[in-house]
Amino acid sequence: MKMLDIAYMWDLVPVIVGYIPLTLFMALVSMGFALGLSALLAIVRVLKLPVIDRLVAIFISFFRGTPLLVQLFLFYYGLPQLFSFMTNINGVTAAIIGLTLHFSAYMAESIRGAIQGVDRSQWEAAASVGMTQGQLLRRIILPQAARTAAPTLMNYFIDMIKGTSLAFTLGVTEMMGAAQKEAAGSFLYLEAFLVVALLYWAIVELLTVGQRRMEQYLGKAVAR
Amino acid sequence: MRKTILTAILALSTALPAAADTIRVGMSGGYFPFTFTKSDELQGFEVDFMNAIGAETGDEIEFVTMSFSGLIGALESGRIDTVANQITVTPEREAKFVFSQPYVYDGAQVVVKAGNETEISGPESLKGRSVAVNLGSNYEELLQNLPYADEIDIRTYESNIAQDTALGRVDAFVMDRVSSAQLIKESPLPLALAGAPFDEIRNALPFRNDEEGKAMRDRVNAAIATLSENGKLTEISEKWLDVDVTKPLAE
Repeated sequence: MKMLDIAYMWDLVPVIVGYIPLTLFMALVSMGFALGLSALLAIVRVLKLPVIDRLVAIFISFFRGTPLLVQLFLFYYGLPQLFSFMTNINGVTAAIIGLTLHFSAYMAESIRGAIQGVDRSQWEAAASVGMTQGQLLRRIILPQAARTAAPTLMNYFIDMIKGTSLAFTLGVTEMMGAAQKEAAGSFLYLEAFLVVALLYWAIVELLTVGQRRMEQYLGKAVAR
Repeated sequence: MRKTILTAILALSTALPAAADTIRVGMSGGYFPFTFTKSDELQGFEVDFMNAIGAETGDEIEFVTMSFSGLIGALESGRIDTVANQITVTPEREAKFVFSQPYVYDGAQVVVKAGNETEISGPESLKGRSVAVNLGSNYEELLQNLPYADEIDIRTYESNIAQDTALGRVDAFVMDRVSSAQLIKESPLPLALAGAPFDEIRNALPFRNDEEGKAMRDRVNAAIATLSENGKLTEISEKWLDVDVTKPLAE
């Protein structure tokens, strides 16, 4: 049984760490867009706005019903055949768009659940003091729904970080791509992939600490 | 580190097509010793080759790495201008792309786990065996064309065919002779060549079949001719492969 080449792994750490900013950049930007988009989608679904509601239902069904890799390939290599301007969209942008659309579909459903979880009496109470539906959502419902949805949304964010590893198929060398290329020259697959795994793990662990803090903060208003 | 982010942001804000004097070269970065990375530096036969071409034609060479399965799609959709990843000329590919003149002549090679090379000694002993090939590579088709293809369990892989053969998950893999020999020499994996190469292969650079692609192909062809004459091609081949594979086998 061969031992791990620890020295090689140690040398590889700074190389892979150099790609963490790009990974986080893609994940954070996607998460920002996805939060906005999914909130809108969820509101459309809750209010059952005519026509748009059906369109949103189809959108969610498609992006939940097909794998992320298929969506990325479709978007990056497929659609430019129809729309030549899409060739100008680079890999990082395409990955961000893909991650945003894919995860918005999931997040919209958990936000919808969280909104509907707010007791019906609060809708009625707010309506009775003359609030418009917009005010009601913004001031009463969404702040409460945000707290309920936070842990699930954090889960999606973690998934998103890991999802960025697919960007290598779009020509973006991120953490996983860098590791694959290094392993091609050294043949130390176990070592290279182990380094990437440990680094992803470390990032997610750090985020989990952040999540605990955030939940404490969001929970303050309703602390018992 | 900071550069990567800056590039990413810049790329986001200015997603413009590349200038005419830049050849965007796609490669997997995962095919030793042709294209691979060491300490974050892209290198290999293909890298030296394309840089030498750029020096001849005056074009700027921009390397774009992505996993192998994305390369042809990227060429077709105009995201890159050519692929330098030991692309073999096949009739199907020639119908779709225009090729430069070949710059590597090679053969298909069966590789097995060390110790099995007496048992599996070439393509004819692949009957009833499982054989790994890279997804999208021409070796899959080459195996399919064997008269006893239906008796071979051909498995296509995204990557790591050598590793899976060494682990015994498949009985053999098929790749080009040159990189197989190099892989066995350089890697710690217990692998061995099984028999002689069984098909002649010519590797060249594909370009899109349009005005721009053809013009680029012609420029590159002139450069390959020069590099072949002045010995630069041989030099690059011997540096990475210890042998000169840039001349036709028959001659």
